Amino acid sequence: MTDHTGMVYVYGVVAAEGSGPPKAEGIEAAPVRLVGRPDLGALVSDLDADALSAPKAVRAHWRVLEEASANATVVPARFGMVLADDDAVRTELLEVNEPALAALLQELAGKVQLTVKGEYDEDAMLREVVRTTPAVAALNARISSVPADAAYYDRIRLGELVAEEVERRRLADTDQALRLLTPVAVEVSEQEVRTATAAFDLAFLVPRDGVEAFTKAVRALDEAVGDRIALSYVGPAPPYSFAEANLDQGSPAWA
Amino acid sequence: MAVATQPRGYIDRPRPSGLADVIEVILDKGIVIDAFVRVSLIGIEILTIDARIVIASVDTYLRFAEAVNRLDIVQNSDSEGLPDLVGSMTESGAKSKVKGLAEGAKDALGSGDDDDSDSDSDDSESKSRSRRRSSSSSGGSSRSRSRSRSSSS
Repeated sequence: MTDHTGMVYVYGVVAAEGSGPPKAEGIEAAPVRLVGRPDLGALVSDLDADALSAPKAVRAHWRVLEEASANATVVPARFGMVLADDDAVRTELLEVNEPALAALLQELAGKVQLTVKGEYDEDAMLREVVRTTPAVAALNARISSVPADAAYYDRIRLGELVAEEVERRRLADTDQALRLLTPVAVEVSEQEVRTATAAFDLAFLVPRDGVEAFTKAVRALDEAVGDRIALSYVGPAPPYSFAEANLDQGSPAWA
Repeated sequence: MAVATQPRGYIDRPRPSGLADVIEVILDKGIVIDAFVRVSLIGIEILTIDARIVIASVDTYLRFAEAVNRLDIVQNSDSEGLPDLVGSMTESGAKSKVKGLAEGAKDALGSGDDDDSDSDSDDSESKSRSRRRSSSSSGGSSRSRSRSRSSSS
C-alpha cells in the first residue's frame, strides 16, 4: 500500500500478522489500514480534515477497535492520537517504542476486558443512611422544621454528612467486589465513579477462556450485594484500561 | 443513571458493550504519545470536560439533602421500622440522578446508541462539571490500581 503523506489517525497497535485491517469505516469514513511491520503494526486511517466532529469520531474509533479486537490482540490508543504521516507512525510510534509495545502486546494477548459497575438503589441507600447515622437523622429533622431558605447551610451540611456515609459504603462495597473478582482476573483497574449513586466501576483483564469462571464470580457478587446494588456486567471489550505504557516520541521529523 | 443496569436476575454472561459503556475509558485510557498534531475536534470539550462530576460538591450535597428530606416526608411519623407505604411512595418519586460523564457524553453522541434506554434525566440542574475528589489520588482523572497477578499469556 502506498504511503499516505498527510496526517493519519491512529486507533491502536496490533501484532499485524494474520487478519487484515478491520472493515469498519474509520474516522470521516476513511478506510482503515495497517502501517508497520508484520509483527508490529498500527491501525490507522487518513485524516484530511482539520476539524472533526468528536461524537462521530469517537464512535468510529470505538467500532474499529471493537472489530479489530474480535480476532486479534490490539493495544488501544487513547482517542485522539494523530500523527504527521505514515512515516511518523513507523518511526515515532512503532520503532521508538518497540520494546514497550511488544511487551504490551504479549501481556494482553488472548485477554479481554470485562467491566463490572455497581449502582446503588438511591432511596434504599439513603433510608439506610438515615437509619444508621444519628447525626443525619437529627439534622434532617431540624431542617424539616424550618423554611427551606433558612436552612441553606444546614442542608449543605446534611448533604455532606450523607455523602461521607455514601463514600464509606462505596469503599466497603468496592472491597467486597475486588475480593470476589480479582482472584479470577489477571489484572484490575479501578475507575473513579462518575455519579453520586455509583458504587464502583471496575475493569478486569481476563483470559478469553476464563470468562466463564469470571462470570461465576460476578454471579456470586450479585448474590452478595442483593437488591442494594444493581450490577452492570459488560464485555468482552478491547483491553482499553490496560493499555498503559510510557511511550516516547523520538524526535519528530515534522516539527 | 450512568449505566444501563441489567434486570435483576440470573447473570448468565456479560452484556455486549455499547459505546456508552466504554466512552470513559476510550477518552481516558489507552496508549498515548505525548506530542501529536492537534486536530480540532468539535465537541471534544463536551466529551472530556463534562466527563467529570463533582461528587464532593455543593450541588451533590444539596441534592442528597433534598433526597433525604423527601424520604423524610413519609418517614417522620416513625423513625424506626419504616412502614411499607414508604417503599411504595418513594419508589415512584425519586429516580433523579446526578448527571455524569456518561450522560453528558451520551448527549453529545446523540441518542442513537445501543443501550442507553434510560433517558430519565430530568435533572439537568445538577450537571456539575469539574473534577471531583480532593482526598486520595490527586491529579489523575482516575485512580487505577493495577495488580498483576500472573503474567502468563
